[in-house]
Amino acid sequence: MKRRTLLGGTIAAAVFGLTSAAIAQQPIKIGMSMAQTGGLAGGGKASLLGIEVWRDDVNARGGLLGRKVELVVYDDKSSASETPAIYSKLLDVDKVDILFAPYATVPPAPLMPLVKQRGMLLIGNFSFQVNSKVGHDMWFNNAPWGPADSWASSFLDLGQKAGGKTIALLAADQEFAQNLAKTAREVATKLGMQVVFDQAYPPSTVEFSGILRALKAAKPDIVYVASYPPDSAGILRAVNEIGIGDNVKLFGGGMVGLQFGAVMENLGSLLNGVVNYNTWLPEEKMYNEGTKAFFETYTKRAVEAKVDPLGYYLAPYGYASGQMIEQAIKAVGSLDQKALAKYLRENTHKTIVGPITFAADGEWKESGVVQAQFRGIKDKNIEQFRSSGKQVILFPAKLKSGDLITPFEAARK
Amino acid sequence: MKRNGIYFWIGAALFLAGAMLMTQVIGNQYPFFACYVILQFIVLAVAWSILGGYAGYVNFGTSAFFGVGVYTAVFLFKATGVPLAVQIAAAAAVGALMGFALGLLTLRMQGIFFSIATIAATIIIETAITNWRYVGGASGIQLQRPAVMAPFDNYVEMLFFVQAVMVVLAVAISRYIQNSWIGRGLQALKDDELAAECTGVPTLRLKLTACVISGALMCAAGAPAAMYLQYADPASAFNLNYSVSALAMSLIGGTAHWAGPVIGAILLGVTQQLLTVTISSEVNVLVLGVMLVLFVVAAPEGIIGLIRKVRSKRNEGEG
Repeated sequence: MKRRTLLGGTIAAAVFGLTSAAIAQQPIKIGMSMAQTGGLAGGGKASLLGIEVWRDDVNARGGLLGRKVELVVYDDKSSASETPAIYSKLLDVDKVDILFAPYATVPPAPLMPLVKQRGMLLIGNFSFQVNSKVGHDMWFNNAPWGPADSWASSFLDLGQKAGGKTIALLAADQEFAQNLAKTAREVATKLGMQVVFDQAYPPSTVEFSGILRALKAAKPDIVYVASYPPDSAGILRAVNEIGIGDNVKLFGGGMVGLQFGAVMENLGSLLNGVVNYNTWLPEEKMYNEGTKAFFETYTKRAVEAKVDPLGYYLAPYGYASGQMIEQAIKAVGSLDQKALAKYLRENTHKTIVGPITFAADGEWKESGVVQAQFRGIKDKNIEQFRSSGKQVILFPAKLKSGDLITPFEAARK
Repeated sequence: MKRNGIYFWIGAALFLAGAMLMTQVIGNQYPFFACYVILQFIVLAVAWSILGGYAGYVNFGTSAFFGVGVYTAVFLFKATGVPLAVQIAAAAAVGALMGFALGLLTLRMQGIFFSIATIAATIIIETAITNWRYVGGASGIQLQRPAVMAPFDNYVEMLFFVQAVMVVLAVAISRYIQNSWIGRGLQALKDDELAAECTGVPTLRLKLTACVISGALMCAAGAPAAMYLQYADPASAFNLNYSVSALAMSLIGGTAHWAGPVIGAILLGVTQQLLTVTISSEVNVLVLGVMLVLFVVAAPEGIIGLIRKVRSKRNEGEG
């Protein structure tokens, strides 16, 4: 009897030892969907490459908890209707340990109730106010948007300092642009500015000269544009053709697309004078520990992978997502979702895009969005955007690298 | 014919029993998410085929009907919080009305002009919803699912079963139409509308019937999608993908028989789901495109046509 117990014990110990060794060798799986096709693919690919660079770095350092890190990535075709099935597969079939959200706002929207129900931590990827209604307390957005109105207020604040009193709003009829326009209206009222022109246009619009003539007739001091890549280009071309009027002091604000290498190269000198939001720029104060090394690796791999060769907008934030989860797992010492969320909520995280602290809603406590003015851009040259001074940072004060040139017509030259 | 009918209903009952059993036995959620999408496409393809296959009116507006179904459910849920069954029934009613309007359109437009008009209708409806703030407008709307009803212990499992019931309903209706005077009348007007009218086929009444039934089914298929995604935005709800997929599935399966769109939808739907979680890159778009081209070239009558050809050849060989 005794011998049998001893034998059983030995076998149990051996089996236990083996399984725990097997677990130790199993990689930590991070699951996500990412737009590889469809309208968001350009950004999705750059973002994913940023995350992949982190994965390779962390594995080179020996992984996390002694285990390698592995990414499980599926294409969501830029659509909200694909993500629930994909994330169900990630959770129930692939049994991933950590979830990253898909890029942009629409694809992750259906996931919020799902992750809340399952009690899973979700690292957001450039979504805008996607958690505001669901209120999941384990959501952490990597994007520097900060409080919902900080975006509009930084731009309008610049305009007011330049002597602007009236504002024109031009926004695409799509979720992100409409959210921006809404906060801009609120901020304008708060600052005592008068909205003299407020127009939404269908997302498929290609010809803007009619709209811009009407806008010009309203004689605004500030023009706040919330647009998507194809319309951003269309609007700038129309501005170039018919002008915008001498009283406009500030033009831009929320134009998506002017952050992507291909679009910037294409527009070239038409960009001059535009003041637009951005997330990272090659200005001296934007470099943190590891930023330079990251871009060296990224640039090399982006050329091979044929994604945005600059990658300023999304890629470093993808890397930062990884850094945050890396720090959390190291500090907590396990993959317990609640403990990781608690750590992420209560601490400041050191990343290549600067220190990140979260507010209760999982957005950055303080906005990290910069407003920068394009200066001295020449046509058909993507390499020029790598040097500093091409996009001069006007806001926030701590990152400022120059002063605003007004009026807009003067800055365009 | 009668024996066929018995077999069909036995098959349908077995299918539903199997679906029910799946919800009770399988703990893993993923099959339900994936199968729900496939079932949804079966309903859409079958519904498309009633007008596009039997009557030959190519409708590019599947996404309009689907989207209206989604938003009918969203509106009702937000305004009154009615249960899923009511949402679906209401969507079917709205779809029937829309189908009626579309049917009247066929009075003036045929062929390619009708098809273009259906695309225009999609864009008009999408723009209207985009500007309707109550249902979220352009920014979309997030929905919180209500508690699930017994015997299901999970909302997605329930949606899966509901969609399975709709598949049976859609296929039964399509099969009935095909085998009844309606189907024969539609076939006649597909070949030559003028000749059919002259020989006494009530073409307008038939077209209206087909449009109403097809529209009601498409809208009904869209209604549960609101609760499936727990989110609705115009760009996703009115995605052209639904129109293209419904059409491609029907054509690949074959439009001459009710089973055609079912086979096509299963084949394409399963392929799409598999590709999403395997290749998962630009290549999956390519694979679907190549499949479509291959079928158009090699089997213009679809899989059903291919089977018939093989059968008749074999019969010839025997004779």
